[in-house]
Amino acid sequence: MSTRVEKTVEFKISRFDPEKKKHYVSTFKVPIRKGTTLLDALLYIKDHFDDSLTFRQSCRMGICGDCATNVNGKPMLACYTQVMDLGADSLTVEPLSNSPVIKDLVVDMQPFFDTYKRIKPVLIKPEEEFKKPGEFSQSPRELEKYWDLTLCIKCSICNSACPAVIDEKFLGPAALTATYRFLTDSRDQGLDQRLKPMADNIWLCTQCNSCTMFCPKKLTCASAIVDDHSLLVEAGDIPRTVKDVLESVYKYHNPMGTPQAKRMEWATNLNVKTFPTTTKADVLFFTCCSNVYDQRNQETARTMASIFNNMKVSFATLGAEEWCCGDHMLRLGEKGLFEELAEHNISMFKKFNAEKIVTLSPHCYNTFKNDKPYSDAGLNVQHYTQFLAEALQKGSIKLSKPIKKRVAYHDPCFLGKRNDVFDAPRQILQSIKDVELVEMMRTRQSSFCCGGGAGRVWTEDALPDKRPSTNRLQEALSLNVDTVAVACPYCVTTLEDAVKVLDVENKISVKDILELIKEAL
Amino acid sequence: MHALYGKATSYSNIEFYDEWFVTSLIVGNATAKGLTALEMKTGQMYAFQGKSVVMATGGHERIYEFTTFSHTTTGDGMAMAFRAGAALEDMEFVQFHPTGMVPSGVLITEGARGEGGYLINANGERFMKKYAPEKMELAPRDVVSRAEQTEILEGRGLQGPYGPYIAIDLRHLGEEKINLRLPLIRDVAIKLGGVDPVKEPIPIRPAAHYSMGGIKANIKTETPISGLYASGECSCLSLHGANRLGTNSTAECLVFGAVSGEQAAKHALSTGLHELQQEKLATEEKRVFNQILGSEGSERVSDIRDEMRRIMNEKAWIYRRGDQLESGLKEIRQLKQRFKKIKVQDKGRPFNTGMLNALQLEFMLGLAEVTMVCALPRNESRGAHSRTDYPKRDDQNWLKHTLAYYTKDGPKLEYIPVTITRWPPVARTY
Repeated sequence: MSTRVEKTVEFKISRFDPEKKKHYVSTFKVPIRKGTTLLDALLYIKDHFDDSLTFRQSCRMGICGDCATNVNGKPMLACYTQVMDLGADSLTVEPLSNSPVIKDLVVDMQPFFDTYKRIKPVLIKPEEEFKKPGEFSQSPRELEKYWDLTLCIKCSICNSACPAVIDEKFLGPAALTATYRFLTDSRDQGLDQRLKPMADNIWLCTQCNSCTMFCPKKLTCASAIVDDHSLLVEAGDIPRTVKDVLESVYKYHNPMGTPQAKRMEWATNLNVKTFPTTTKADVLFFTCCSNVYDQRNQETARTMASIFNNMKVSFATLGAEEWCCGDHMLRLGEKGLFEELAEHNISMFKKFNAEKIVTLSPHCYNTFKNDKPYSDAGLNVQHYTQFLAEALQKGSIKLSKPIKKRVAYHDPCFLGKRNDVFDAPRQILQSIKDVELVEMMRTRQSSFCCGGGAGRVWTEDALPDKRPSTNRLQEALSLNVDTVAVACPYCVTTLEDAVKVLDVENKISVKDILELIKEAL
Repeated sequence: MHALYGKATSYSNIEFYDEWFVTSLIVGNATAKGLTALEMKTGQMYAFQGKSVVMATGGHERIYEFTTFSHTTTGDGMAMAFRAGAALEDMEFVQFHPTGMVPSGVLITEGARGEGGYLINANGERFMKKYAPEKMELAPRDVVSRAEQTEILEGRGLQGPYGPYIAIDLRHLGEEKINLRLPLIRDVAIKLGGVDPVKEPIPIRPAAHYSMGGIKANIKTETPISGLYASGECSCLSLHGANRLGTNSTAECLVFGAVSGEQAAKHALSTGLHELQQEKLATEEKRVFNQILGSEGSERVSDIRDEMRRIMNEKAWIYRRGDQLESGLKEIRQLKQRFKKIKVQDKGRPFNTGMLNALQLEFMLGLAEVTMVCALPRNESRGAHSRTDYPKRDDQNWLKHTLAYYTKDGPKLEYIPVTITRWPPVARTY
């Protein structure tokens, strides 16, 4: 069987010889036709060039989950991917991340399956129920509630993409999704037994969304984990740290537990207009609790206000009426609290007649765009990097001072992975004179989370070497950069913490893009 | 499968040996005593003692080029049982499914026709009207597969880069119905064939799909070897006769999987462990590591494998003819000779899939030979076995089961009568 060869693609395959303990790379050139899957290409190499090339495979139709592998940094099923669709002439093929390599592309799946066994992936009912003859029936509507989550093929792609699994205490996206699948099964009676195994570790999930993005069966793992959170919150089975955050927001409408009256202290002497004194401005500046209360991040808010002023943009904030956007609360599972916050903010936006909202945090940005009820309110919202990239393009701001620095940009998950905003922050950095912008190895969609999402920025209790922030900073250090640039207050907090943990303050610094802009103005 | 896996994990007395590759059964005095297996991760071989051994290893259709089978289901269990002295029964009866997607062979489920899909030839005709005017596309698998093959042989197949094919057209069902009723088919067609069935027909042709034959076993799944049980496709309980009906293999797995489990457990409770002779392990290590891994010939495993599949597709396919089966058998036997001169490039022990491919090829060559040997003398057409030189069913001479036994000089055949209960065979008309 043969058809026209469309092109020849170079495969650079990561190899590991377990007997010699040797890592190396093999390069092969493979003729690609319409219909050639990645798996076909690997089999072609094994048949024609090197039968020692080792990978798992079986069903070749996306069902067994054996052939999951990292291609150009993204985990995927080799059999379910057309090489032509990747649109590349050279592909780097590596084993899945977060599992020890046995040989070449084969990783040890045992820990993954051992974890899976811990969650009891089987109906839980009293013993006597199973002895009765007959089926446990349910209606099509009851089945519909969890059906999509039964399509998991245990390929461990989610595990490979997940930043939280570097702490083996964490059950991982597959097991947590399966837990929710059983929790929503009308036949299951195992609520207590199911909540227990995840109660002390599910909070390590940062909601970076990688599991959902890369799932070949399109399971909404990240949402399932939020739903798990909700059930734990409902049952009151939550750690002290999570409880404290939620209580602060209940009482003070911000996670810092600081009175709202102090919300504008950051803007002293900056001439920032606030609601209700001002009820109309071109831009509603949504600052984020982290930037107004955390002294380290206040400078970011101040810089943005100065830029607005320099640009002569009419802007205002909601002042003490700006409540936490609720993103972290929603993702911690406190949906009721989130709705209360959202309804308040939406009503303020309406009173303000906000035509355009600019946020400092990707978390506010994301929730305004994508989470009901915000998403139903038809808000026109921009992240500040989008606003400034536009301004730079129009020439309404100019960055004149050079900054002679080697800078790596870390994609915040809620800006990149969740909203595909990858270019605006890079455009800003590239427009600063003398900045040498380097890409992280795990970048854009494959970016590795800082570990701050879904409240973890406040609840972190993992050992330093098991924190995503440490892992990420080490990657930046390996690139010999002076600065890690970010565009999210939580990335600043977590990565700066990693700088201290690794004791590398003299080698590298973490800066919000706004801080660099301030230097360059 | 996932439900079964989940259930199995709930029993603390089930030990999983994931990624252990069984290489042989240990049988003595017509009693199963255990098996030898490679731990893939390390490449170490071990002997297992077992009071009962259940074969649930699937069929052998990877001996064909175009099949719905996964790459790794290569009939190893059938081949091992055969070598250990069990009979393989009715191996000439291989079911061909009408809708294997071109070029991968991935199954387009019966549901695609069930929901109203049309089968179309190069003239744009729904050709089934000639073969089964009432049932049309919903005629039994063997009838539809033969009809497709006839269309292709008579030059009415569509021409594609992967050879002549038939089209299954779902377009008239509309996007909404396709998404609702056949979402996985759409996904598979796009991902694996680069074809969106909402917009264009899916290229298909008949594909080897199921083995009616297998390890001879009775209704309790017992084989003539004490302690050895077989269930599912690797077995032949004569459940499907010469021609399985669609969906019956799922029922077979559910029913006889449970039966074999019960029987094996009962047997294990009533007997002790058998002494294993140490030389059994040593002999098997010699076979696997010295003869196969250590072979220093020049033949590529993949070349022999592809050649075997080509021969089987050409000479033991849907339509068969005596002279072709004869020459095909000869060619398969030549391949068995060539196999003795293979070379596995990878000489390492851990996770050596090159070596495992060689072991699987050896099993498949044995099963290809058995399939040919069983098909050759059956001078009639029955069920899935269609001989163009003997197009009629011959109950007088061939209402009997074929049994194949291993001998050093090739399979030896015996025949046993068919037990007819309620439904004597009659002419099938559609």
